[in-house]
Amino acid sequence: MLLVEADGKALLRQYGIPVPAGEVVRDAAWSAPSAARVVKAQVTVGGRGKAGGVALCRNAAETQAALARILGSRIKGHAVHACLVEAPATGRECYLSILLDAGAGALRVTFFAEGGVEVESHALDATTSRLCAPDEASINAALAALTDDAAVRDVGAKLAKLFLAEELMLAEINPLFVGGAHAVAGAESHAVAGAESHAVAGDAKLVLDGNALHRQPGQEALLRANATLYPDALRKLDEGFDYVELDARGSIGLITTGAGLSMMLVDELTARGAHPINFLDIRTGQLRGSPARLIRVLEWLSEHPSLRVLFVNIFAGITDQREFAKLLAEALAAQPCGGVPVVARLVGNGSEEARAWLAAARPDIAIFEDLEPSIARVAEHAI
Amino acid sequence: MNPLLQFSARTPVLVQGASGRMGRRHTQLMRDYGTNIAAGTSLREAGGDIDGIPLFADCAAATRATGATASICMVPPLETRAAVEEAVAAGISLIVTIAEGVPVHDALHLRRLTQAAGVTWIGASTPGIALPGQAKLGFLPNVALAPGPVALLTKSGTLSYEVGYRLVQLGLGQSLWLGVGGDAVKGTRFAELLPLMAQHGPTEAVVLIGEVGGTEEEEFAAALAAKPLGKPVLCLLAGREAKEGVAMGHAGALTYGGAGTLESKTTALQAAGAEVFATTAALVARCAGLFGKRA
Repeated sequence: MLLVEADGKALLRQYGIPVPAGEVVRDAAWSAPSAARVVKAQVTVGGRGKAGGVALCRNAAETQAALARILGSRIKGHAVHACLVEAPATGRECYLSILLDAGAGALRVTFFAEGGVEVESHALDATTSRLCAPDEASINAALAALTDDAAVRDVGAKLAKLFLAEELMLAEINPLFVGGAHAVAGAESHAVAGAESHAVAGDAKLVLDGNALHRQPGQEALLRANATLYPDALRKLDEGFDYVELDARGSIGLITTGAGLSMMLVDELTARGAHPINFLDIRTGQLRGSPARLIRVLEWLSEHPSLRVLFVNIFAGITDQREFAKLLAEALAAQPCGGVPVVARLVGNGSEEARAWLAAARPDIAIFEDLEPSIARVAEHAI
Repeated sequence: MNPLLQFSARTPVLVQGASGRMGRRHTQLMRDYGTNIAAGTSLREAGGDIDGIPLFADCAAATRATGATASICMVPPLETRAAVEEAVAAGISLIVTIAEGVPVHDALHLRRLTQAAGVTWIGASTPGIALPGQAKLGFLPNVALAPGPVALLTKSGTLSYEVGYRLVQLGLGQSLWLGVGGDAVKGTRFAELLPLMAQHGPTEAVVLIGEVGGTEEEEFAAALAAKPLGKPVLCLLAGREAKEGVAMGHAGALTYGGAGTLESKTTALQAAGAEVFATTAALVARCAGLFGKRA
């Protein structure tokens, strides 16, 4: 998952990479300093600048106006709870990244002597980007083939250590300011001389591997410290399954298992103008005879006043549908979500008996064997 | 020869982690389906057996005693790296790992290791593979499996169950079912299966089930454009409404900016001559039509 810039920069600092002095601001009434500041929305999504989430402010009034505008707004659907307010860095803007290139089965080190938000338009060739093995020596050798600049190589070597130790999928610094004068976070003197051997990370885009969190306790602590920014990742860590809120004002609550089938359902419902609140991969194989997980999901869904229908779709390869049907009935009894209609499509192992049992136990539930008619019924309730 | 082409009900199979809750159950289910389960590994129960299937302490002992050439690895995600290393060292040529949640740096290491060793690795985060009617490695549901002319290549388990099941209801089975898995870094990618699809006589059409995130569908499209298959390729892509920056259940189903979007995949696949569908019903209807079945 993508860390917000402030958390990414905290990790950079931990590995000795300089970042501008700044602070995280959550309150628009914050008393801004008179000097120029950059105000940046802290959201877990790229392209903030183009979406209006970054402002360069010349004085306190501008900084406060920017905070008032950005805090509480939404950037690409993500609510802005915090802004990073920084002293602007100066110098030559470069681009540096280490990417885990899944297609190539290798790491990719990329360096451009010119950075900026338009870096996507640069061509990757042997002078700007190299594949290498996932070890420090190979990363450093790859970067050495791309730049002679000692300051950049120094940042690269630290970034390599960070990337491997923290098991990252992407570490991108864009812009990397080289050779300017900066107020640097944590430095005793706030004015660092603009020597050619100096580089500061103007931005940080670090993507963590959610699957490695179990053996990266430092990362888990980082996420928990800013829990409102990482609700989906923390929920997965704590609950052991995937629930992603897609549309807080949606009308359909999904009780589904399997990532691919659940995504497809979301697509097909949305295409019909019916809006699911959530994506869910509940993993029926892990319920182990308890309705607790189902009740948790129903509780989250019940918090949405816009909920109009619950759609249960379980294709059970292995899970016994008879057992699942009983757990579903127990869960709905414990948390009926205000009595909204329930559409249940159950197919696979033991599903014939499960459907018969559920029909007798809960005659109000619309029960289906096939997917298409169940989608149609849900759409009727939702739209 | 590709071990996937050689895989059959005769292939002697080793189950790594056979005595765990999942391992024990699926060892029996795979054998009931027809898979030649020759051995299992279990630290706790080495020397014992599961329904007559001998259990060994490690892969080397198991392969020495039974001649197993394929492995289905049912150990937890953080143990998958060590298990695959052990299987490769023991000379296994086809390894399927089902665990969901293998760290991506482990997967990168394993991809490089298996490629260097000439071992075919399928996974992780996959329900497995099947030669329908003969044998399966993993937990693909029998209700969706039947022999037939359609090769199913898929990132997703459940969406492929849905497609396979609906095609089987129409009388269309599968020549081969290969779950490449939902992770970003994996043993075998869609494009790497294209030569196999060309060589595989029983395969008359390919159904590819992809999803948002990564570049596998684009790589497959590039390989297809460079060397047309001469067999229809039908694609179903999930995740049009996926939330940017969040892994949608699959670690690989993750988008940032414009990369890995359905638009990019759809455009590339269509340009390569594949047909792309936005709904399961449309894909199933087209596939049925190809073979003169009524959807």
